[in-house]
Amino acid sequence: MDDYKFLFKVVLVGNAGVGKTCLVRRFTQGLFPPGQGATIGVDFMIKTVEIDNEKIKLQIWDTAGQERFRSITQSYYRSAHALILVYDISCQPTFDCLPDWLREIEEYASSKVLRVLVGNKIDRDDREIPTRVGEDFAQRHNMYYLETSAKESDNVEKLFNQIAAELMEQARCKELPRYDDGNLQNMNRRTTSVDVTCCGN
Amino acid sequence: MTTSANEFIDSEHKALYSKICNEEDKVTRELQAAMARHPLLDAKVRNITKVLPNLEVISQDAKQLSDMIGFASTLIENVSYKVRRLDVARSRVFECQQRVHDLLDLQLCCDGVKSSMNIGDFEKAAAHVHRYLSMDQRLLEKTADDVNQDSAAVNNSISLLQDAATKLRNILSDKFSEAVKNDDLASVERFFKLFPLLEMHDHGLDKYSDYLCTQIQTFSKTKIKTTLDNKNSDKRAGIIFADVITLLFEDIASTIEVQQPLVETYYGPGRILKLILKLQEECNKQIKVILNELWRTRQIEKYASMVRDKNRSTSTMKPPDPKDLDQLLAELTIIQSRYHLYLKFLKRKVAGERITEKEGEQNDLVAKLESKLQSSDLCRLMQELLNNYLLLEHFYMEESVRKAIQMDCVDQGSQTSSMLDDVFFIVKKCIRRASSTSNIDGVCVVINNACGVLETEMCSALMNTMKVGFPSGYLDLTQAYNVMMQGRLQTTDSEQSKAVFIAHLNNTDVGSEYINTLCTSLVSEVTCSTELERRKLESCLTGLSSVSAAMGASQELGLQQLRNTAIKPRVLSWLDSFSTLSHVLSEEEFSSYEANEPFIRGFIGNIDNFLSEFKGLLTGNNYETLVSILATEVNSLMEKVIMKTEFNRFGGLALDKEIRALVSYFSTATSWSVRDKLARLSQVGTVLNLEQVNEISDYWGSSPLPWRLTPVDIKKILKLRTDFSNDEINKVHF
Repeated sequence: MDDYKFLFKVVLVGNAGVGKTCLVRRFTQGLFPPGQGATIGVDFMIKTVEIDNEKIKLQIWDTAGQERFRSITQSYYRSAHALILVYDISCQPTFDCLPDWLREIEEYASSKVLRVLVGNKIDRDDREIPTRVGEDFAQRHNMYYLETSAKESDNVEKLFNQIAAELMEQARCKELPRYDDGNLQNMNRRTTSVDVTCCGN
Repeated sequence: MTTSANEFIDSEHKALYSKICNEEDKVTRELQAAMARHPLLDAKVRNITKVLPNLEVISQDAKQLSDMIGFASTLIENVSYKVRRLDVARSRVFECQQRVHDLLDLQLCCDGVKSSMNIGDFEKAAAHVHRYLSMDQRLLEKTADDVNQDSAAVNNSISLLQDAATKLRNILSDKFSEAVKNDDLASVERFFKLFPLLEMHDHGLDKYSDYLCTQIQTFSKTKIKTTLDNKNSDKRAGIIFADVITLLFEDIASTIEVQQPLVETYYGPGRILKLILKLQEECNKQIKVILNELWRTRQIEKYASMVRDKNRSTSTMKPPDPKDLDQLLAELTIIQSRYHLYLKFLKRKVAGERITEKEGEQNDLVAKLESKLQSSDLCRLMQELLNNYLLLEHFYMEESVRKAIQMDCVDQGSQTSSMLDDVFFIVKKCIRRASSTSNIDGVCVVINNACGVLETEMCSALMNTMKVGFPSGYLDLTQAYNVMMQGRLQTTDSEQSKAVFIAHLNNTDVGSEYINTLCTSLVSEVTCSTELERRKLESCLTGLSSVSAAMGASQELGLQQLRNTAIKPRVLSWLDSFSTLSHVLSEEEFSSYEANEPFIRGFIGNIDNFLSEFKGLLTGNNYETLVSILATEVNSLMEKVIMKTEFNRFGGLALDKEIRALVSYFSTATSWSVRDKLARLSQVGTVLNLEQVNEISDYWGSSPLPWRLTPVDIKKILKLRTDFSNDEINKVHF
């Protein structure tokens, strides 16, 4: 029997080659596999983290960035609790595509989904997008912002742990009024697509 | 003083004396033991003296033996030295023989090649050259140097054979090309088998693969042509492209199947990969042609962009009818499934080769194949096709479900409305179709989309009906039911919407069941080849539980609506007669009250009518919840009416009997006990039925059921009895 209190779905999206798979591998397995081939369809990993003595299970869906997998990728937006939108700080085109990605998120994801913008590959010295530009973009679109390096393991743990903590906080806020509410509202609450699955079943 | 000194000395002496005595004893014992061993030792000494002369003899013999062994050893060393020398000599002789043999063979080959080539016996010529090539070239040259007097002849032969080899290579290549040109399969195979004899493995495989590729190309071209020519007349016209692709894959597979033994016998194990990769290049080309044609003929691009644009206001095109997509979707899934079978076949061919001892090498081969395949056009095109299939499948499911909801109707004799079965039929059909592609990502996507469609389309439609509520006003469900029986015509809005409400409420109940069944059947139906695939599938299936929750929410709301509009007002109106009846009764009045049952008979009758109206209309679960809600409402509303009434002893007795009748009615009306829901009301009856105030103390604490009434409640109820004095009631302690 799995022993965890919360289960959250985290979905990574962004252009091909920005390092989504590397971020996930670094976080789930502590590895940085060089020469990683392009992801086919979607990859799936599970990792349990502990925040404030609570076990939180993260289901991480690592999607393919290439256009021809878009139908597959899009089907995962709806049930996601958190979306990580990744770009490569040393590659301007991956940053320029962000509005397109946001449009997709608007169209398919729940409006309450936690959105995080990640600038990856800060170990590289040929940076093209300054931190401030990324931050501005995130702020304008009401997203969290973090810069990472999957290669040097910079901010990778922090990224996922912050997401877990934030989602847990949200879940708890929603959970509290349940005791005061009538039966009806309680049932209604369950219908929202972004919700908590408590006490692992 | 002296005496004491003497005494002291004395005691010291005594100690010493006893010690000496002990030692003497010990020595005596040892002496005796030694003496006892004396004869034994004597005998031993005698024996030794007897053996002594023998020992001398033995010592001499030993010395002699040692000398002999030393002699033998030197002798053996000498022999073995000679043997070693002989061995060396023998191996040299053997080598020499080999060289002579080679020289002889060389001569033989030289002559043989000439004559065989003259008469066109290429097998023999190739065999000769092969013999020559298998000789150690450097050694051969050395031999030529060693055989001084005849070096010219040997060198001559060598160069002749070299020439012959080159010539033969050229001839074979030419002959092979010629055979290919003439499409002479026998000759092609004949020369293909000869290439490895001339150490032309790669060349041979290349040439042969090219040949096979052209074969495949012609095959594929004719198939495509015939397909396009009869694409409208053929009875399998709808999936004709899937058929062509299947034929192409089958052709390549059978080619590999046939060539594998040939390649492995003549070229050695592991060489098949090269052939497969070569054929794959041709496959990529042909698939591209076929898929381009498919793309164009089936207007996939048009449909896909229509679907993509449908949500945007800018779209001017009318979205396609989902029915038109049915066949195309079937065709696309067949193509995907054939593609997966083909990939599986290739992997099995490469992995299943006969090199068991080199497992690492085998894995390398498979990895090489996989990386080649992954970057191939075939793979990319299939992924693109899958992408479009999923897009169209999503559209198909969404539109079909919408249509099913629009065309929703309540059929006679059915508890649920048509949308429930229709929607689940569509969803199941789509998921099954996706699972026939054997691509787990595809299946997961369709499941994800199904969750979305069920939630946003069906659950919200049901929720809307529930929100509108059960129509109030004059309620006659029999009428509504009759209307349902007659179909949709001639119905008033209110009756119609009652029927719809009930059917949709049942939809929520049965729908949750359907979701569970769907979930369990998919777990066993969908085949997952790896643990990762299984985990992906299971994770996506949990999405269905949120659909279940949404259904549950609608169901809950619906039942609450029934409580508010159907149950509560009715129960209140049925209770009207209660308040008009006096419960302050004389003995005669009580008898007549008991005989006529002026209230409870009608009340139970009303409840019974009400329940029997709903019994056939609601599903089992919904009906039971309805009974439970009804019991709860009766319990609380009747208590309120009682609280406004006065009782005397007989009035209380009458009420208690009425309540008991009510409870026993409810107990028989349902399969499960609702006694609990009416517990409070029963207790009110019990309190009002007391003969004396202080009896309550006996009941309090000894009741088998926990009291639902608080002491304050009880005192309030006791005060309803006109014959109980307030003083007495206030004195009661709990």
